[in-house]
Amino acid sequence: MTRNTRILMSVIYWAFIVYLFVPLALMVTMGFKDSKFIGFPIRSWTLDWYTAVIQDTEVLSVFGYSMTIAISTTILSLIIGTWIAVFLGPNKFRGKAIIFALACLPAVIPGIISAIALRIFARLIDIEPGMFAIILGHTVHNVPFVALVVMARLSTQPKSHIEAARDLGADSIVAFFRVTLPYLKPALIGAGIFCMLLSFDDFVRAFFLGGYQPTLPVLIFAKLRSGMSPEINAISTIVLIMTAILGLWAERSMRRLNKGS
Amino acid sequence: MTGEKDTIVHIDNITKRFGNVVAVDRLDMKIVAGEFVTFLGPSGCGKSTTLRMLGGFETPDEGRIVLDGVDVTRQPPNRRDVNMVFQDYALFPHMSVGQNVSFGLELKGQSRPEIERRMTELLDFLQLSGFRDRTPDQLSGGQRQRVALARALAPDPKLLLLDEPLGALDAKLRGQVQIELKDIQKRTGKTFFFVTHDQEEALTMSDRIVVMNAGRVEQAGTPEDLYFRPESRFVAEFIGETNLINGTVRGIDDDRVVIDWNGLDIRGSGHGHRPGEGDNVTASLRLENVVCHPKKPSRENAIEGRIVSKLFKGSRTSLDIRVGEKEDTVIRAYMDAGNAAQISDDQLWISWEPERLTVLRD
Repeated sequence: MTRNTRILMSVIYWAFIVYLFVPLALMVTMGFKDSKFIGFPIRSWTLDWYTAVIQDTEVLSVFGYSMTIAISTTILSLIIGTWIAVFLGPNKFRGKAIIFALACLPAVIPGIISAIALRIFARLIDIEPGMFAIILGHTVHNVPFVALVVMARLSTQPKSHIEAARDLGADSIVAFFRVTLPYLKPALIGAGIFCMLLSFDDFVRAFFLGGYQPTLPVLIFAKLRSGMSPEINAISTIVLIMTAILGLWAERSMRRLNKGS
Repeated sequence: MTGEKDTIVHIDNITKRFGNVVAVDRLDMKIVAGEFVTFLGPSGCGKSTTLRMLGGFETPDEGRIVLDGVDVTRQPPNRRDVNMVFQDYALFPHMSVGQNVSFGLELKGQSRPEIERRMTELLDFLQLSGFRDRTPDQLSGGQRQRVALARALAPDPKLLLLDEPLGALDAKLRGQVQIELKDIQKRTGKTFFFVTHDQEEALTMSDRIVVMNAGRVEQAGTPEDLYFRPESRFVAEFIGETNLINGTVRGIDDDRVVIDWNGLDIRGSGHGHRPGEGDNVTASLRLENVVCHPKKPSRENAIEGRIVSKLFKGSRTSLDIRVGEKEDTVIRAYMDAGNAAQISDDQLWISWEPERLTVLRD
């Protein structure tokens, strides 16, 4: 690499970083502005918007609703995704490639298409729009990610681990729960947090499959329509900090667990 | 050596095929309780497949495996009283040493205090007491190997399978572990079924060695039997270094066989095998059984020769000695480095005990 290309590369990199962080920084800053109008100049600062968010029972209940959906989705996706990974993992059989492709399909179908399809389907089999429908929709979308991450981890497990467990008296179910599942732990933590974030963040599926009760992204959207307010900035900042902490924690614990095996 | 003692395992004429490849071909063998038996052979000879069939990880296509009087041919691994030390040890990475060793005991449904007692006993026995709470990644290769051994011994199996457990250790440690392993086997009185491609390991530890080649048993016997009285060219070449002499049988006198080797009369022994006169045979003579003399010895069985090459190997020197008219009539011998210096390169005599030159069956 010549000197010039090196400089060019670093300029592009820093431009990207600026583009990524300036909007975030603006959003966070405006949440502290003591005025209803978003924009510069900022004459005085306040925490009122945060107080308003914490006291807003609607925001709090919607937050709880979104978390319930995210956690349920994650548990379901982990169970189904792991099951698919273990089922497809070591065995070779006819049609394995097709089953794998079908299982991965929901990850690449555009959200709007699968949202509409799921809405029609839910209607047809009499599932009320609402939490249950959203959980099902999110699970279908998340399962492929879990399956892929778990499969990757599973392929690094030495075959002898399971054989050793079987040798020492475990049947295949006990061997799975006592040896394979602990081995998959870092993958499950990583995939689980990814599922939570995907579900918590989703707008399109929640919008189409939801009932009267909105999820957090749907609520923010609704609030936006009645005008931009720094309260939205405050909500967004709280969500940003929480997800960042969750993501960093997941990254750290995965690295520690990976090192340990 | 079988017969009067108790047979613990009867491998009853088993065959295993993978596709068109016959991995194990009509293997029939009895293993005696308390024996250290080693299956030795090159990779792909069927030794590991045999081990895996004993462990329950493969099912023979034909034949039966009888463990202590019970047909276990189709029993899954978790139902057999057989435990295994894996080549990569296969320790559970998320469990401590103590938990690894207890695993088999828990699954046997033993009580907590009983598990605790047995686990402590084994850790003491294998000098692992201080490592009880460590995880496998905090142990050295030798320690891991001992944990794998402790874990496999814990459920008190009738037969212990060892799948090249020394392969991952460095050369220096390996020698030490060989002695330890033999010692552990003696002290526990367990039946060890050891698989290796390393002839030195086999010779050091085994009560009996079974040499396998292409799915069949080439020869089975004590290490001394196999080393000094190999029956086939394969065994002679696979175990240790040897001189292979191709000649024609000139005469047989009792067990003595006289072979014409490029015009030289050499004397050997059939060890029960009697070739016919005029047969083309191969005979094996170990390098250390060749005796070199600086002057013509009084014994009759001495041949004159000269040294064509000398290789210094530290404690000993290997000599290539040409003894006949023809270019390839060469015998290789070992000498102490000090003695080798006293021998003239141009003229020396070699001799050997006729029992040590073994006429092979094929």
